[in-house]
Amino acid sequence: MFGALRDFAQSFLGRGEATITVPSFDGALKPNQALENAEIVLQCEAPEDLASDGQNLFLADGVRLLRIEEKGATAVREFDAPITAICALPGSGLAVALGGQEVRCYGAPADAQPSVIFSDVGRAVNALTPAGDDALYATDGSATRDYKDWVWDLMERGRSGRALRLDLKTKRVDVLADRLRYAFGVAAMGGRALVAESWRHNLVAIGPEGASEVVRAHLPVYPSRLTPAMDGGWWLTAFAARTLLVEFVLREPAYRKRMMAEIAPEFWVAPKLRSGESFKEPMQGAHLKTMGVVKPWAPPRSYGLIIRLDSAGLPLFSLHSRVDGINHGIVAALEHKGRLYFIAKGPRRLLSLPIEGLAKDYSE
Amino acid sequence: MTDVVLSLQKATKRYAGAPAIEDVDFELRRGEIHALVGENGAGKSTLTKVMAGVVTLSSGVMMIDGATAAPSTPLEARQLGVAMVFQENSLVPTMTVAQNLFLGQERFYNRLRGVYIAAQQFLQSLNFDVPPTATVAALGAAKKQMVEIARAVLHKAKVIIFDEPTASLTPEEKKYFFDLVRDLKKRGVSIVFISHALEEALILADRITVLRDGKKVVTDDASKFDRARIVQAMVGRDLSHTLYGVKRTSVRPAGERVLTVQNLKMAPMVRNNSFSVFAGQITGVFGLVGAGRTETFKVVAGLLKRDFFHGGEVTLRDNPVRYRVPAPAVKAGIAYVTEDRKVEGFFETASIARNIYVGLLAKFPRGRSLLSKREQAKSGKDWIQRLNVRAIGSEAKVVELSGGNQQKVVIAKSLIQEPDLIIFDEPTRGVDVGAIVEIHELVNSLADQGKAVVVISSYLPEILALSDRILVSRQGKVVEEFSALEATEEKIMYAAIH
Repeated sequence: MFGALRDFAQSFLGRGEATITVPSFDGALKPNQALENAEIVLQCEAPEDLASDGQNLFLADGVRLLRIEEKGATAVREFDAPITAICALPGSGLAVALGGQEVRCYGAPADAQPSVIFSDVGRAVNALTPAGDDALYATDGSATRDYKDWVWDLMERGRSGRALRLDLKTKRVDVLADRLRYAFGVAAMGGRALVAESWRHNLVAIGPEGASEVVRAHLPVYPSRLTPAMDGGWWLTAFAARTLLVEFVLREPAYRKRMMAEIAPEFWVAPKLRSGESFKEPMQGAHLKTMGVVKPWAPPRSYGLIIRLDSAGLPLFSLHSRVDGINHGIVAALEHKGRLYFIAKGPRRLLSLPIEGLAKDYSE
Repeated sequence: MTDVVLSLQKATKRYAGAPAIEDVDFELRRGEIHALVGENGAGKSTLTKVMAGVVTLSSGVMMIDGATAAPSTPLEARQLGVAMVFQENSLVPTMTVAQNLFLGQERFYNRLRGVYIAAQQFLQSLNFDVPPTATVAALGAAKKQMVEIARAVLHKAKVIIFDEPTASLTPEEKKYFFDLVRDLKKRGVSIVFISHALEEALILADRITVLRDGKKVVTDDASKFDRARIVQAMVGRDLSHTLYGVKRTSVRPAGERVLTVQNLKMAPMVRNNSFSVFAGQITGVFGLVGAGRTETFKVVAGLLKRDFFHGGEVTLRDNPVRYRVPAPAVKAGIAYVTEDRKVEGFFETASIARNIYVGLLAKFPRGRSLLSKREQAKSGKDWIQRLNVRAIGSEAKVVELSGGNQQKVVIAKSLIQEPDLIIFDEPTRGVDVGAIVEIHELVNSLADQGKAVVVISSYLPEILALSDRILVSRQGKVVEEFSALEATEEKIMYAAIH
């Protein structure tokens, strides 16, 4: 009763949960066009994740595992389901998540038989990382929607994400945390797992006993995968930026219900990995353009962002592709041989930037 | 009639035996613009107060139009043709602009509409965009200053004294002011103006008089001065390289995000404002008067309230906060150093120690059951020493201090609260160069200690000299962000106007 009254008052006054606000891109998140200036390494079919064993760079592209070389890419192998996450294991091994449900570990990427299989780990396993001591951390985005249906989970305000620890020796799966609002991305942080919670726009450190601590809150984006940076800290990717319009829609259940029932998902008022392709998209005209030119500062339906975090999770600088750019929907970024490789899922590209000079050029 | 309209010979004024000015000879020619410069406490204000009849000389002679004059009230001085525009404005805040303009000139029967029409026409003739029906309390500092200036002009004085006339004006408003002063000069009015912005003295004045420690150092044609010569005469040492104009080669990296303002609204001044403030950095906020800077940070500090409906969000260390009064904000570690120190900054008849102690007590929203005189005296003494406040002792009244030292008391009152986020609103307005250097050093040391520091300033060189990160505000919201390394005056001004 009191809860309902409070909710009504809050929505009437625009306060509390009903405060429809978005943090600004400022300080270390000040926009630039760095991602638009990146070199295109490979045009792919369905790029998803990256892994490096120090010598080789692997790319998950649909059902194919590719090795990126100087002159293009070589297919290492194919799987029977789309790869939703990969990570390199110590000693040239490789772990892959298939269809968001199964995790397989291989002694070498080309091995015919996996050394360990975790079946039915979850429904939308989307990130893997070594946890030390023959274990993996994994994030499972949703228990109700498949990985490819992430936007449904957002619009249904899903909170069924989990952070998992997979023991390669005992094949045991421990749930470190559940009821996460779309866990998408994990990295080891000392003895804890640093998990990106996309719908809450948070980074949370989760200990082995499940104790959690918010490391970074109120991000103006939907955070996704994390990878370690060579000189400490992490690279955090964000597949979309928050907008007031989407925040508003997320607080209007009746509107969302009807939108989901009647409109094709690609035209929902929801974050997207790419935009500007159809006149049926919401937010048209002067929202986005002046004199026919897309405003870089317009409300972003799709966006590209990589944030460099220090070892305390503090943003140091960021690399952007703004509304008028193309390289949107960044879902993975990885340091490899002095370059930063990243996947722009919107235009289905693998791109790269030299790391040297990034901090100098894009720090405040 | 002589060419000299006003002169002082061997003018001395003592307060409690201590001379504020001593044996000062001063001469103001007809139709000249005469700049008075000097550090705070140099005696400029006292000298001009003598001319304006606010205080009387202890010894010496003042002559107006060749006749000895000793006005004992501002009204007498005004009747003799001398009017003064005060540094800390002297308007009645609860009255309208028009009522303030005609204050003291009322007739037995006043037709309010007629007063408003006359005020409107007069303000328009001066090119001042101030509504005559507005209550003075609702005006910003710049507009209050305009009303002050207009009032002096209205009194048809032959000598007008301006005490820091441009401190609260934007560059565009300053241009209007300069034109106005030149226009007055053409009409034969003599102008005395005190300014800490030395460039203004060099641009505007015909002659410059420099005072130091209550004594005249030099009077000469403005063309014979440059900035370095004035500063040297003012302080007796060369400070020209320690203040402004040194290009920044490094900035402090941003620490933890301490404050986030998201879509803040406070009609009509703040419109959908969003930005962040980080620890260990000085965030400079520049904007023209009316850009909503002060109002935004007053909402943050609980001095003003945001819009009741959909007013946006303020988060302090990622926790949403909504302060209705300043006390909880102070407790949470937010200190706001006001731009209007006379009205909001201190209790002027209370002692320095008491003012500082009041700052400490503000940290306890529910009050403190025990007050300690010993603690008050000790904290007063400590802070006087730490901030180098020049006063006889901690029991000296704040009203007796010069502008720069008053500002240091206001700062001490905030710093005693040990805040994590310190908002300085125009920290060096009406402060002399020596004190500016000290305040700047203090602001820098706070950022070096890891505090989040915000400096709101309308003076671009100050923003450039202090800030690690510069936010430019226009029409109620932050529209541009610069690193101090990339910022230039042109870029910032362009963002503030366009």
